[in-house]
Amino acid sequence: MKITLTVLLIAILSAPVFSQVNKMDKKDQFVDLAATIGSSRGAVAASYVYNWKLGKKKKWEAGIGARLTSSFGTKQEYTTAPARLARTTTIPFLIVFAGQKIENWDTLTVQRPWVNSLNVTANFAYNFNNKWQAGFNIDLIGFAFGRTSAAVLTSNGITRTEPLAKVSNFNVLLTGDLDYGNLNSEFFLKYKLNDRWGVRAVYQFLFNEYKTTTIKQTAPDGTQVDRFRSKANNFGVAVSYQL
Amino acid sequence: MKKILLPVFVVTILLMACKKENTIATSTNPIMEMVDTTAQLKYRGIFMSGPYGTTMGTVKIYSKLNVYSLVLDSFTVSNGPDLHVYLSKEIQPLNFIDLGVLKATRGTQVYAINGNPDFSQFKYGLIHCQQFDHLFGSASFQ
Repeated sequence: MKITLTVLLIAILSAPVFSQVNKMDKKDQFVDLAATIGSSRGAVAASYVYNWKLGKKKKWEAGIGARLTSSFGTKQEYTTAPARLARTTTIPFLIVFAGQKIENWDTLTVQRPWVNSLNVTANFAYNFNNKWQAGFNIDLIGFAFGRTSAAVLTSNGITRTEPLAKVSNFNVLLTGDLDYGNLNSEFFLKYKLNDRWGVRAVYQFLFNEYKTTTIKQTAPDGTQVDRFRSKANNFGVAVSYQL
Repeated sequence: MKKILLPVFVVTILLMACKKENTIATSTNPIMEMVDTTAQLKYRGIFMSGPYGTTMGTVKIYSKLNVYSLVLDSFTVSNGPDLHVYLSKEIQPLNFIDLGVLKATRGTQVYAINGNPDFSQFKYGLIHCQQFDHLFGSASFQ
């Protein structure tokens, strides 16, 4: 991996400088391929982005797009997903800063997770100059599919086998633990190599969700829980091609 | 530039895809652990092969000062990924206690048991592939 990153870095540094995209373009439209890696997991994501340039100097960008994210790993821990059990408040946006109710959390260890999600994205960016851009993007809504896997549900020290844990199929951003399904988001720094190609350094925050089918968690309030969520912090690189 | 970047990116992705899975391989070197001779034999069972492996040997439950341990004696099992030792309520484990990763595919091995499980319920010793949910061998305690 170190060798690959070194080769990629050399390729970037040795890249010839070409003329840049016309500064007064009103749109920024590109496709992008990202690869990220975290603890015992990895992800690849292919995106299409359509941004409008905003402001007098056209330094700001905002827009929409679509992203196909595929994440995979082994023995990933998913914890109780419903917001009312996982957090101290379920108020949208405030939930991001809410305390965790870990006394309600059970752990579903999915043995061989593989999740593919196709989502509509929102994208934001700021152009420092012709070469450098920083930005943020996040999945809004979509659907997911993936591998059914064996899992182990650990609840108050008792372990049970879930032979058929399945990927949650519906994704929607509702902020924090109110979210459903499988959502990708990125902070990035982009360097434009020329008028077509760019490279990005990416920090990725990835939500994945599996559902149990044969066993369920019995929450302290007596409800049965079948949704379990994994949150991953990944880092990686991406290549963009201007359309 | 395309000629440089695309191959580099493809190689990066392929290397990530080839990343070794987080599975602990079971040693095939036999190990011989010592059983505490002052401990009392409580239960024993003879392994039968499961649908996904060949398992032979004896499983024994010892007790000393209310602390239990499980011993695999004269034990052999065909190798597999992510093999664990379970105390289970069922032959195909649904409710179980994971005693840990199998130390070796052969030999005499001792596993600590936390707490005081009810052996009238946890009446099976299992060798189970956790990652693929495959049973390699089971023994019923007598």
